[in-house]
Amino acid sequence: MPSWAEFQPYIVTGLALGGLYALSGVGLVVLYRATGVLNLAFGAVGAMGAFIAYSMIQAGDPDWVAWITCIVFGGVVTLGYGMLFGPALAGRGPLVQSISTLGLALVLFGVIDLAWPTTGGQSPSISFPTDNGGFSVGQLQVNWTQVIALALGIAITVGTAAFLRFSKLGTAMRAMANDREITATLGVPIRRVEAAAWLGCGLLAGIAGILLADLSALDDTTLTFTVVISSLAAALIGQLRSIPVTFAAAIVIGLVHDLITPITQISNYQDMTPFVLAAIALLVMSRGQVMSRSREEG
Amino acid sequence: MNRPLHGRTRTAAAVVAALALGVLAGCSSSSSTTTAPAASSSAPASSTAAASPASGSSASTVSTSACGTKPGVAATGTPINIGAINTKQPGTDFSDIENMAGAYFACVNANGGINGHPIKFFPETEQTNPSQIAALAKQLVTTDHVVGMMGNSSIIECSVDAAYWKSVGIDVLGAGIDPECYSTPNTASVNMGPRYSSDGAVQYVLAQGANKIAFDQSNVPGTAYIAAGPSAVAKAKGVSIQDFTENVPITSANAIATKLVTAAGPSGAVVLNFTPPEALLILQAAQKLNLEDRVKYWACSTPCNTDFLATSLGPKWNGKLFVNAELTPLDGNTSATAQLFDAILKQYGSDVSGGVGSFSEMGFTIAEIGTHALESITGPYTIASVSAALEGVKDYNTGMLCQGYTYGDYSEHIPNNMDFTVTPDNGKFVQASSGGACTLISASDPQIAAYRAIAGTAPMAS
Repeated sequence: MPSWAEFQPYIVTGLALGGLYALSGVGLVVLYRATGVLNLAFGAVGAMGAFIAYSMIQAGDPDWVAWITCIVFGGVVTLGYGMLFGPALAGRGPLVQSISTLGLALVLFGVIDLAWPTTGGQSPSISFPTDNGGFSVGQLQVNWTQVIALALGIAITVGTAAFLRFSKLGTAMRAMANDREITATLGVPIRRVEAAAWLGCGLLAGIAGILLADLSALDDTTLTFTVVISSLAAALIGQLRSIPVTFAAAIVIGLVHDLITPITQISNYQDMTPFVLAAIALLVMSRGQVMSRSREEG
Repeated sequence: MNRPLHGRTRTAAAVVAALALGVLAGCSSSSSTTTAPAASSSAPASSTAAASPASGSSASTVSTSACGTKPGVAATGTPINIGAINTKQPGTDFSDIENMAGAYFACVNANGGINGHPIKFFPETEQTNPSQIAALAKQLVTTDHVVGMMGNSSIIECSVDAAYWKSVGIDVLGAGIDPECYSTPNTASVNMGPRYSSDGAVQYVLAQGANKIAFDQSNVPGTAYIAAGPSAVAKAKGVSIQDFTENVPITSANAIATKLVTAAGPSGAVVLNFTPPEALLILQAAQKLNLEDRVKYWACSTPCNTDFLATSLGPKWNGKLFVNAELTPLDGNTSATAQLFDAILKQYGSDVSGGVGSFSEMGFTIAEIGTHALESITGPYTIASVSAALEGVKDYNTGMLCQGYTYGDYSEHIPNNMDFTVTPDNGKFVQASSGGACTLISASDPQIAAYRAIAGTAPMAS
């Protein structure tokens, strides 16, 4: 078993990843609460945005323009999908709605493979200027990109929670989450609220995509699937409702995933982290529900 | 229909989410499996730039007329049917190898052919589907009536077809990836493959004084076979080596880089055996975390030998990263062979999408050796005569390899077992100033020792 000192570097990398998973998880929860749709295309949208940003940087465009394009692309594509298919799918069950977003994910995944093939072994990558700066905490090296990832995760969690609680639009979203029909009869413009949720989710997908392209890899498979798996697990632990719990779960998933790295006996199974943690959390929560139900019946 | 997101619906959504986790994980792992074997390929991918250590220089300009014995005279005789199978799928495309071989053969055909006979080339592509690969091999033999296979390069073709080639008596000349490309009687490669290239990388850092090795590669079938080579080389020098494997695509490069640096220690070396994208991820992560100087050396098997990787890494890695190189670099190379390569690529290589690079270089070398073998045949061109001609190739100077090329009639084939080492130099790879010249792969690797016991040691190319 590695010593505590050997574990320490992975706290930094794990927190940075956890921050991005949190940001993504919050995006998924907000959209789900407003529309009832689990956006499985979240990762693919971010991935394609990141690849577009990469091409722009290669073409000589300023880095910041490329980053913003990635974020805007995420927002536009997700909003476009929501507006185009959302109404048609609104009457269908959660399974159909979610699988349809998986369809979008696979389409984007295929387009990325076609447009950015790895012929010739070229390795696309994105780097931020913040990669080269940072500070040390004892033996730990921390770069500014990692700090930004965690800080964004926290800021977006807090900001989204405040937005849902205090803003008119946020209140409408919460109302829709509670009862969509009654909310509609109260005169809330449901389509507009849904559009805002799709747009917000897409913008977060773009942010997560560009940051993960730097912190993890500019790889379509990684960005399309890994982000969604970890974020979805966090959102599940938050019961697709609680933003603070989703945030905490995402941080724990990121931390545990990376802290397993030095334990060579199990490090090749670290990708199971989100599944295992989600399964444990769901078991514990369902046990709690059974116990409270039996207490009520007793 | 408006509906509340309460109770049953949320439960249903949770179930969907849980199912989706499984579906997405399935997609993710399936994709990993698809791309992972390529990660252990030692076939590099892009162009290199270093002074040629093996090729002589030539002041004269070589044109495509040097392809054949009758410059400018098109071959019109009965065609000699030759086949090839390459992997070509999203993320893994080796088809530049057969495309360049095809360009070389086209050049030969336009300049007299093989004793007046044109080579009719049947390049096929596959998508790592064993039944498809087996069917392609049979189709080439029974329908297309090929008498030889020159230009194969596939993730799994050697393991799928080795027994078939033996049964029909065809000797294959290709660029190998899986172990069967080196350990079976009917296949020989122009490249060294992941195991022996990793041997070379480990051997280099040991010679530079590394006292501990952290060897990392993708977690795919066959990693134990590959790791056995570097492990034997390090242990023969009394240096401890720790093996790691990573699931690919890599999702947490920062953590991996940290792990490797910790394992190697300040006087040790990290040695990577990955495709360029994965290796670059780890190296860039080390750079972002300022870890590059926390070990004495970094090294890579051949796939890292791409200008793209050198450019992406930047000057911090000059003289810090050392990469095993299996074939002669072409940038700045003025040898007659390099000039012929350029001329063929320019005139006949419109299908070679990657242009100058290791894949096209391998295709050129395969076709060059194949043509040399075919030209030695005096009777009819049959499977038996072509295989016999290939087996007769001995110490042939390709101008592309460190040593002469020998096919031979052996139970296994590792004809390329001498290499050199390159290091980044401001966006290009150049020959390492210390110990970068052609060096024999250590016979501490039992597979190398076994091969040399039956085939001997080919001389260095002059």
